[in-house]
Amino acid sequence: MLQHADVFESDAVIIDLEDSVVIQKKAEARRLVFEYLDKFLPLKMEVYIRINDPSTPYFLEDLALLDPLDVDGYVLPKATKETLDIVTKHTKKPIVAIIESAYSVVTLEEIAKEKQVSALLLGAEDYTTDMNIERTVDGEELLYVRSKLAVTAKAFGKEAIDTPFTAKDEEENLKKDILRAKNLGLHSKSIIHPNHVDLVNQLMMPSPALIDWAKRVLKKKEMTQKGAFSLDGKMVDEPVIKKAEQLIEEIKKYS
Amino acid sequence: MKVLNSLDALFQEIDIHKEKNISFHHHLRNGDLVINQVLEKYSAAKVKDIELFPSSIFPSYHMIKRLLEEDSIEHITTNYMTGPVAEYISYYGKEHLVTMQTHGGRARAIMEGKNQIDVAFIAAPAVNHKGDAVGYMGPSKCGSLGYAIADSIYAKKVVLLTDYYIEEDFDHVEIQGKNVDYVVRLDTIGDSAGIVSGTTNITTNPIGVKIAKKTAHLLESFGVIKNGFSFQSGAGGISLKVTSELAHYMKEHQIKASFFSGGITAHHVKLLDDGYVERLYDVQCFDLEAIDSLRRNANHIAISASKYANPADPNQVIKDLDVVILGATEIDLDYNVNVTTDSHGVIMGGSGGHSDTASEAKITVIVSPLFKGRLPIVKKRVTTITTLGQHVDVLVTERGIAINPLRKDLLHKCKEANIPVKTMEELYLEALRFTGEPKEAKNKENVIGEVMDRTYQVIDQLYRK
Repeated sequence: MLQHADVFESDAVIIDLEDSVVIQKKAEARRLVFEYLDKFLPLKMEVYIRINDPSTPYFLEDLALLDPLDVDGYVLPKATKETLDIVTKHTKKPIVAIIESAYSVVTLEEIAKEKQVSALLLGAEDYTTDMNIERTVDGEELLYVRSKLAVTAKAFGKEAIDTPFTAKDEEENLKKDILRAKNLGLHSKSIIHPNHVDLVNQLMMPSPALIDWAKRVLKKKEMTQKGAFSLDGKMVDEPVIKKAEQLIEEIKKYS
Repeated sequence: MKVLNSLDALFQEIDIHKEKNISFHHHLRNGDLVINQVLEKYSAAKVKDIELFPSSIFPSYHMIKRLLEEDSIEHITTNYMTGPVAEYISYYGKEHLVTMQTHGGRARAIMEGKNQIDVAFIAAPAVNHKGDAVGYMGPSKCGSLGYAIADSIYAKKVVLLTDYYIEEDFDHVEIQGKNVDYVVRLDTIGDSAGIVSGTTNITTNPIGVKIAKKTAHLLESFGVIKNGFSFQSGAGGISLKVTSELAHYMKEHQIKASFFSGGITAHHVKLLDDGYVERLYDVQCFDLEAIDSLRRNANHIAISASKYANPADPNQVIKDLDVVILGATEIDLDYNVNVTTDSHGVIMGGSGGHSDTASEAKITVIVSPLFKGRLPIVKKRVTTITTLGQHVDVLVTERGIAINPLRKDLLHKCKEANIPVKTMEELYLEALRFTGEPKEAKNKENVIGEVMDRTYQVIDQLYRK
């Protein structure tokens, strides 16, 4: 799949050297990734590499070969404050921290405070394993951790990235999963199958109805010249106007 | 019409050493047990100088290879071949052994006497006491018998071979008993496991899905997906995904197509049953759902290869075709397409209806990944021309769309719809970034055959490896 990394119109791609590579293939995979990126960078999207975590012997070998490449950063599995301290000694690149244990959740602020951490990414499979709970289609078991991750990321100016949806062909359930995360404040989603990209892009964008509402709020504000007014039978005041302004700013990046 | 109970009895009636121009259809595909049984008789009788006219050759047709090894075959005229016979011919075929025609071209050549057939051996899944035959019934049912119709009318002698002989009349007769000379009852004519193709799954491969979505979006932007439009796609995974994407669009916008044609699958049948297309013109069924639909639905119509794509037939179905979606093994800078040989020149396919539909459809779209493994699909010059570039309008790959410069109207529509278009040269160079420049196949000395389009023009030659 490496050679197809840039055709699916995702905003970023994560090349995995961790769980999807069996131990006996670690060196080969690392060399393949290096050869590919050395030839094809820059791609038209951001490129991250999921390295092996510092408790493994592969961590230093990953960085030794790949750190000279002009990638946008690393994705760190099973991130904790302690492992981040090790990683930041070996690279100055941005780090996306995967939050996938109870310990990481309760120490989330420490992780988010780290300067090199650019984003928090929820890893629900490992998290639910750690918690010894079942992962369900409805995702109720992720309500707390999703909320905490979104709020913490927001507080520290970091990106909050939702966990991948693992069922390949369940489009309706994927839709619900995306909207559930979006409603809790996770405005990005990691993807494990390329066929999910279009739907995530489509649903993570503000809906046409919401964009229309924001435009009408700002238009009415300009017309009335008031700090508070009503629209569609609902009161609009400063926080609502700010929300509409933010939304209009946000859609600029999609166009 | 005589009813016989064995091939031995048949060859008491027919002089096997004189009746050597013989034809077969390929509707039973890899489950065909007729062609091998008949050719075993020719082999046992040590018949030489056989001229063979199978509509296609599948991997299970091993007796053709045996007869080639015995140097008993003078010439083969067919539309498609794959498997051991194709490989054998590519490596050991004698000069000018093969003529690769098209589905429409084969029907025309039979009707105009260019393909002279002494005996048409027609595997017939159901035959009645009048000698009428259909393909949609019986233990070896295959659906339409479209490729055998011209043979059944124009061959000097017509033999139906069946394992399902009944007394009742059929609702929709495909092969008319008045044209039939012999019916031979055999224990079995087909292995049902091999009759239904395994290629009718909609792709979930991300690259295929990407290409299909781009294609559907492009066609929507062209404004051709509207009430009354007509459409054909192959049974390949990407083509079927395009059909599936268009179905979503048709449902959303309440659009009803006039007809779908060509090889028919369960996916086409579903759209007919749901009322999104008025008629299916079926020259070949690809799965059991299609076969059953042909039997039960009067708007699912079996047509002959002539009615489908014979350029001399004023009512050929594809003349009214708005859009056809086709695949490619290779496509070149002049939009010529190869689906006949691999890039080493080994035969692994053939036109079938590729070149027929491309030459008639108002818009011909080729869908293909830009490269497969280490092989670029876009080349400077295709190894073998199956379909001339003048008939090809659009190439859709995962890395971009190219529009034939001859189609200024489509280029204009892309511009209006803000759809980025690349030149074929740009796609070619893009492919080479990943694959490097492949060496060209060198063997171009011994001509083993020719590729003939439906106008009888020889558009390329086949070479021995």
